[in-house]
Amino acid sequence: MSSSKRSTIIIEHLRKQQMWDALSRGKRLDGRDFSEIRQLELETDVIKKANGSARVKLGDTEVIAGVKVGTGEPFEGLENKGALIVSAEVLPTASPYIEPGPPDEEVVELARVVDRGVRESEMIDLAKLVLVPGKIVYTIFVDCSVLNADGNLFDATSYATVAALLTSKLPIFEMQDQKVVDTGETQPMPTTSMPVSVTAARIGDYVLMDPNAEEEACMDSRITITTIDEGFCATQKGYTGSFTPDQIKMAAEAATIKGKEIRARLKGLVANNG
Amino acid sequence: MTQTRNLIDENGKRTDGRGVDGLRPVKITVGSVKNADGSAFIEFGKNKILVAVYGPREVHPKHMALPDRCVLRCRYHMSPFSTDTRKNPAPSRREVEISKVMREALEPALMLQDYPRAAIDVFVEVLQSDGGSRCAGITAASVALADAGISMHDLVASCAAGKVDDKIVLDINDQEDKEGQADMPVAYMPRLEQVTLLQLDGRLEPEQFNECLEKAIDGSKMVYEIQKQALMQKYFGNETELKEEVP
Amino acid sequence: MHEVKRRYVIPGDKIVEGNFRPLMNVIRSGNALVATRIGIAETGRDGVKVIPLSGVYIPRVNDLVIGKIIDHSSLSWEVDINSCFSAHLPAQDVFGRDFSSARDDMTKHFAIGDMITARIIAFDRTRDPMLTVQDRDLGKIPRGELLRISATRVPRLIGKRGSMIQTIEQATQTRVLIGQNGIVVVTGRLPEGVNLAVRAIRMVEEEAHTANLTQRIKGLLNVPDTTTPPPQDRGSLVAEASKPGEIESTIDEVEEELEVEGEK
Repeated sequence: MSSSKRSTIIIEHLRKQQMWDALSRGKRLDGRDFSEIRQLELETDVIKKANGSARVKLGDTEVIAGVKVGTGEPFEGLENKGALIVSAEVLPTASPYIEPGPPDEEVVELARVVDRGVRESEMIDLAKLVLVPGKIVYTIFVDCSVLNADGNLFDATSYATVAALLTSKLPIFEMQDQKVVDTGETQPMPTTSMPVSVTAARIGDYVLMDPNAEEEACMDSRITITTIDEGFCATQKGYTGSFTPDQIKMAAEAATIKGKEIRARLKGLVANNG
Repeated sequence: MTQTRNLIDENGKRTDGRGVDGLRPVKITVGSVKNADGSAFIEFGKNKILVAVYGPREVHPKHMALPDRCVLRCRYHMSPFSTDTRKNPAPSRREVEISKVMREALEPALMLQDYPRAAIDVFVEVLQSDGGSRCAGITAASVALADAGISMHDLVASCAAGKVDDKIVLDINDQEDKEGQADMPVAYMPRLEQVTLLQLDGRLEPEQFNECLEKAIDGSKMVYEIQKQALMQKYFGNETELKEEVP
Repeated sequence: MHEVKRRYVIPGDKIVEGNFRPLMNVIRSGNALVATRIGIAETGRDGVKVIPLSGVYIPRVNDLVIGKIIDHSSLSWEVDINSCFSAHLPAQDVFGRDFSSARDDMTKHFAIGDMITARIIAFDRTRDPMLTVQDRDLGKIPRGELLRISATRVPRLIGKRGSMIQTIEQATQTRVLIGQNGIVVVTGRLPEGVNLAVRAIRMVEEEAHTANLTQRIKGLLNVPDTTTPPPQDRGSLVAEASKPGEIESTIDEVEEELEVEGEK
């Protein structure tokens, strides 16, 4: 069951005034334009024990994603595909408002939206990751830990997940005498496309990309749009306000353009780390 | 634990090339978690552990507050990707026990009576684990608490010693932990010369106990120097001394 | 001029041995005086203290603070003062003794999200801090640019008898409200002045413990180094340390001594 909550962060009226003043002049409080994203840092292979990993800093939001590959049963209904699941935790280190415990509805939504972007983009050819059809397949777990939260966990988590998967080394398993054996060799993860998630918040009539925590505390509604080269693969409207259909269409167009730009940057950052 | 193969070669070198008294490389960075009141990131061998401190702050739920002192809460938690096989994110019994002994290792150093009805939260997040993670966690937690400006009698430094190939060695690594004969983590307040954490897992002969304890304390003292340097670096940069005033 | 020895310390560091009085953030341990926080240790005639460089704001009676209204009950507003405790502002403080929640609407006076300057009139180990707005210049802050600094840097930002903050205000044509709890509000007619003041305040926060700070601030503000603003009566708006002289004057004395040394 999901219920309305009181807002955890109460933004000072002075800051709201400053924000409206700035927005009316086309700027945000941190000096950015409406469609500007914060500084993006990316480092891959930060967790050597994982098959792949990435640390992303988007402004002050910091996320680490780790990939662990094993073997197991396929998902029901997907007997001829490898199993992939993205999970997330917002660690209690991330902000004064987090309490330790099982993921709440916001964190579950975060994991599922990132998962959807990866799954529906088909960035990993899961059909290639089957050992015994219907019985034993590769299992790919991507676990994301948010270390510091300053807004837009969706995009930061998505970029970390995608970068970790792109740079993962897949262990090569074989069946020997009906048992799974790790041959000890690895191969690069078989990836195709690269989904890019772009999130925007609506404050009044202004739509701002890559909202920070303060902007999220003032927003009316939020939209996350994930694109691939060929089009869209996932979308999620969040928070308690609404969008007009035109605002959504504009956001979709902006996400496509911005998505291309961010895709190029992520590719560059991944290449630098290699 | 009984050992099955040699972990120290004929030249006295261990599996990672160290001698019996060698400490793994330790690096501490202070203040990387922007939202926290204090934080520290430690690399202790291959351990990568992030500690964030929030406090003193209000206690929620209110009935848990203590009237005459601060509540100290400590959580040791491992990310699923931190171990060889993926770890379920739900707290394991090991994490619950380690959270408790860590809290009990840090509490003697803190002046909790200075903050009645408040709470101090210490969150220890293991991003990559490699033997001795609780020692690394306590070491980083102590630095994070100092970074948060909590009043303390002393820092708490921590290091383990163990028995491997019938020899007492300093700071056992993951392989030595799994395949060796004994593991003794210790936490120590260097100025007060007090031990605040002591555990033993394995078998030691009577004379070996004292030797192991002494070695772990020596290791803790080495770790303390690194803690001190990390704090001085963050707060005072390259200057270690203020100019002395002369009238 | 008396001799004062200064050192950088971390918790547990021995500062000095002997028959000295422990003052702030120092305890006696056997024959030694020991630091309990990270900061600048000072040994002088009156005792040994550590000026802390980090730490959450702990409320003190008589402190002037800037707070945010976050809730209200039928009898008081709950105020976030950026500390480990929420503070309360009783409705009676504003409406008078014959306050009636049926007749007097609390939200019309202070709404959730409003910023106020207030003074702490009560606080002890058994209860949350209580505030008053019944002094000159206290009450709702109608406008201004809000920033947060570490509460430990507030004395340095104010300076000896207000000298640092006045230098900034005069050079940037702004008015700066400073709460002991580290909340600062800057108002000014020109946005460039406000921005420059904010930069100067951030610089003070970052470099509070270093020498020649006043010189560098004056450099940032393009103020000639020789001018010193005359001490002014700022009324209740100056957040004086509740034990006047103990914190702010010692850091400023360091500054002045070091600057005098430099000129020789």
